[in-house]
Amino acid sequence: MASMKRYILILFNLLAALALNAQEVNLTVDAPERAAAGERFRIVYTVNATGGQFSPPAFDPSFSVSGPQQSTSRNVQWINGEMSSVSTTTLIYYVVATMPGRYTIPAASFESKNVTVSAPAREIEIVAGGAAASQSQGQVQSQGQSQGVSQASGAQAADGGTDVSLRLHVSTREVYIGQPVSATLKLYTRVNLSGINELKYPDFKGFLREDLETPELRSLETEVIDGVQYGTGVLQRFLLYPQISGEIRIDPVQMTAMVQQRTSMRDPFFDDPFFDSFFSGVSTVPRSVSSLPVTIRVKPLPEPRPADFHGAVGSFTLSSDLSKSEVEVNDAIDLTISIKGSGNLNLSGEPGINFPQGIEKYDPEVTVRSSGTAAGSKTFKYLLIPRNTGSFEIPPVSYTVFDPQQQKYVTLRSEGYSITVTGSGDQAEVAAPVYVPGEDVKYLGQDIRFIRSGNGSLTLVRQPLVKTTYYWLWFVLALFVASVVLLLRREQLRRNADLTGSRNRKAARTARRRLAKAKALLGSGMTEQANSELSKALWGYLADKLSMPQSQITRENCHTGMRARKVDEGLITEFDSIISVTEYSQYAPRTEGESPAALLERASLLIGKLDNVLD
Amino acid sequence: MRRAIAIIIILICSLPGVVSQSAAERYMQAGGLYSSGDYSGAAAIYRQLYEEGYRSEDLLYNAGNAFFRSGDNASAILFYERAKLRAPADEDIDYNLQIARSRVTDRFETVPRLFFARWFDFLSLLVSTNSWAMAALVMFVVSLLLALIFLTKSRARGRLLSFWLALTALILSAVMISLALRNNSLINNNKRAVITCSIVTGRSAPGENGSELFVLHSGTAVTVEQELGKFYEVKLPDGNKGWVRGDCMEKI
Repeated sequence: MASMKRYILILFNLLAALALNAQEVNLTVDAPERAAAGERFRIVYTVNATGGQFSPPAFDPSFSVSGPQQSTSRNVQWINGEMSSVSTTTLIYYVVATMPGRYTIPAASFESKNVTVSAPAREIEIVAGGAAASQSQGQVQSQGQSQGVSQASGAQAADGGTDVSLRLHVSTREVYIGQPVSATLKLYTRVNLSGINELKYPDFKGFLREDLETPELRSLETEVIDGVQYGTGVLQRFLLYPQISGEIRIDPVQMTAMVQQRTSMRDPFFDDPFFDSFFSGVSTVPRSVSSLPVTIRVKPLPEPRPADFHGAVGSFTLSSDLSKSEVEVNDAIDLTISIKGSGNLNLSGEPGINFPQGIEKYDPEVTVRSSGTAAGSKTFKYLLIPRNTGSFEIPPVSYTVFDPQQQKYVTLRSEGYSITVTGSGDQAEVAAPVYVPGEDVKYLGQDIRFIRSGNGSLTLVRQPLVKTTYYWLWFVLALFVASVVLLLRREQLRRNADLTGSRNRKAARTARRRLAKAKALLGSGMTEQANSELSKALWGYLADKLSMPQSQITRENCHTGMRARKVDEGLITEFDSIISVTEYSQYAPRTEGESPAALLERASLLIGKLDNVLD
Repeated sequence: MRRAIAIIIILICSLPGVVSQSAAERYMQAGGLYSSGDYSGAAAIYRQLYEEGYRSEDLLYNAGNAFFRSGDNASAILFYERAKLRAPADEDIDYNLQIARSRVTDRFETVPRLFFARWFDFLSLLVSTNSWAMAALVMFVVSLLLALIFLTKSRARGRLLSFWLALTALILSAVMISLALRNNSLINNNKRAVITCSIVTGRSAPGENGSELFVLHSGTAVTVEQELGKFYEVKLPDGNKGWVRGDCMEKI
């Protein structure tokens, strides 16, 4: 089509060259009065001549200009046998202005065959954002109606900088973590589009994206925004689940729209549908379009999170169902826990159920039914197999969800069940023992321990004993008392020792004195007294020598004492015999045999001998 | 005579009770404040009681807790350390002190003390100074009695036994006296101090002119080596020394 068109144009150009026509040269400029900052708009210069020299205007330095895209056309007509030809040169500049404000596009000039014409300077207002789109002139045609009917006004191809736009609509801009945001990507166009290429989504950082089923865009719907008609169409719907808190920016969605653009001017001669579409070249120009970034404020969930919170955010209801409550051993039962409502069902975790020991639990079968929007249901189906007979209680399930409407945690509860397991004991015996793995205590944090109760048993601080003098004086006193006691005891011992010693030393002397007295008594004829004095002398001597008190003096004691001092047995016998004689004579005075004088002599001899041994 | 002794005993027993009647009430009041969340109020009462001269392991421990909760970590450490001196084997004090210490900015490679020095200190803190002192006195008297037996007894076997027992008792008495003295110096004359200023500079000389050696933060425990005017020479747990302003620390 395009190559054929170009062929025909060349043919007409050749024909026109034959008939030169001195027509007045005219330079016109077509530029929008307003344009949005950042959006591309076009400035079109049209001159009804070929050849020559076009001096472009000096664009504002802040504009980024591409082009010119130059095209030349020539029309030849015959009217009443007279041929006239019109040749047109079109120069298109694509301009993007970044700063809002009023700008002037200076005059441009065209020089041809010594004739210089100039196009007037144009004022242009650059506005921030997409406000220009609704005010710039133009017509929007829905794609469905545009086939073959071109109503573009003016000689230029109907195409503006803001004619095609893309918008991402979000249901809310302030959510909690996990609360789904439904987003719609919508296309707005005022020009004919032949198609859309390369729809490129950003990576939605911080969100989990779930695409919803969206019907393929086949036709555009007409929508009037601020009095301007747009063809609109939904490209994609999806749900976004925020995963982190903070101000999260969704980067622009980018796409390339294939814009149908007419390149030739309309000709009155060929003003009918067939020729229009045939001659006016409709070319497809790729145009990259992007949506504006969207910022969503994601609020964190309040702390502390309940222990049975498993990430569910939304408004839900909980229901449960047990397939049967009376069962044989080793027969399966189903426990179904379902969560219904709108929210992040996909991210809601499994409820924690404490199944009684003796019932074997398998990992639940999880089914999610979500219908386009976030409303739906999630079902956890537990397969339970009782391994022991008896009655078992399944406690009520408590499942805490965060309700963004109420802005608080809501605890849902299901009912509890009791299961009666019947069956023969043998089966239960065969059943595998239930292994209950131990679990370590979970430490949630570290904090100081609580204060001590009680009266505290307060005491006033006192002077420590070691800092007082009297404490140390006690030691001195104790030492002093001990010394005194020791000295006294020593003295006593010494005295006792002295007493014994003197008795010992004086023993012989005392005995001899008594013997002398006995001799005197004997001389005066008092034999009995003499004998008594003799026995006193002997007993007293032994008592003194053996350090014995008078009261303990008996024959046995004396024997023991003398034997301990290694006295000769002969001397002991002699002692015994003398004592026997004296005792005998005391009770039987008139004795025969030994005279008292001889006895005295024997006693004197004995004391002398004993004194040698006992010293 | 017996009556007089009874009266004296009653007076001695009732005297501390009468004096600390209001103190016990304030102590209980502080506990109530703590439970209701007014930690700084509780801490103020505990500190007041401490400054009035009241002592008990529980008082110091509770004061540490109240200071910790009210955010004054340095005072919390100070009181926990004081409580630890009175109850060296108490788990709760150790645990809380460890948590409070974990919030201190300064970290040191501590030089561990010799094990017998640690054991000796621990033993000396197990009972009070006066208990050690009384035990030492009793042991001294026992040793004297045994010595008397040794010196006056005439039988050889009893003499030898009494000699060794007397010697043992004398040594025990000496050990107890040193424990009593150590206990006293730890509790009443402790060289350790806790930094209370949030940040303070250690210098090479007393005064503001010495060159800066280190920076300490609140809660760090140091040992005071000597005092010169307003400046104390402190030894850090890693062995370094420097001069620090004395009003920036409180002795344990």
